[in-house]
Amino acid sequence: MDRMQDGGNDKLGGLFAQYRESVPDPDASAQFMPNLWRRIEERRVATTSVFRRLSQVFVVATAALTIFMAAVLIPRLQREQVFSASYVEVLAADDHGDYTDLLK
Amino acid sequence: MLVEFELIERARSGDDGAFNQVVQAYRKRILGTIARLIGRPEDVEDVGQEVFLRLYYSLDQLRTAEVFEPWLYRLTVNAAYDYLRRQRRRQENRMSDLSEQAVMLADAAEGSKRSAEEDRRTKVRELVQSLLEKVSEEDRILLTLKEVEGLSLKELEKIYQVNENALKVRLFRARQRVLKAYESQSESS
Repeated sequence: MDRMQDGGNDKLGGLFAQYRESVPDPDASAQFMPNLWRRIEERRVATTSVFRRLSQVFVVATAALTIFMAAVLIPRLQREQVFSASYVEVLAADDHGDYTDLLK
Repeated sequence: MLVEFELIERARSGDDGAFNQVVQAYRKRILGTIARLIGRPEDVEDVGQEVFLRLYYSLDQLRTAEVFEPWLYRLTVNAAYDYLRRQRRRQENRMSDLSEQAVMLADAAEGSKRSAEEDRRTKVRELVQSLLEKVSEEDRILLTLKEVEGLSLKELEKIYQVNENALKVRLFRARQRVLKAYESQSESS
């Protein structure tokens, strides 16, 4: 059985060697390098245009957000009561006299 | 190495002239490997360009110039693998469209154009291709690199980045499958 398999392996090895011979290294055509550089350029342009499109989306989104804030959020904030008391006034308002009694 | 490390370093740093020289040095060898991997002469240049295109955009990821050749072979293996996968899908669609008679007529018309020597080579090519089609794309590529291209286990280890024992097991299994297909084909013919 092993001998049969060895025989098969040898045949297969021989067949692969013949295959190597029957498919020699081909010469590239004259268009190989120009076509390669064209593909490199196409990929570069495609990548650049993706980034350009992304940046356009970001610009539009930022502009929309700015307009939304200017139109909706800022007037709403302005309508709300502004707390304009100073720090000392806040402390005084919060003072229930507990500590001052102790000092006396 | 077919080129100096310094040339690869220059190509890595964006020198297009150096990249051109690297491509020209390796082009014939890579096209030969692709031809034997995919078995379709008309698509060899296309896949070859894909390899060098991937090389151009991945050169900056190359750690050192010393690992350039295994890196280039890895790109070749990946491009051939992608091609074979696409081809298998396309072939399945095409074969379902053609009747058996149409396939036989196409084969006969192709056969009448060949010379005797070319006929022998074509038979060898067809036989090996038909055997390799019976195993997975991964096994087909690994077996071709080892048995046809004559790469050593050390070289394959660098390309596949797996240890030698795992490669030996995979190679043994792939070889067994092809051998089985070869024997059953020999018995039937």
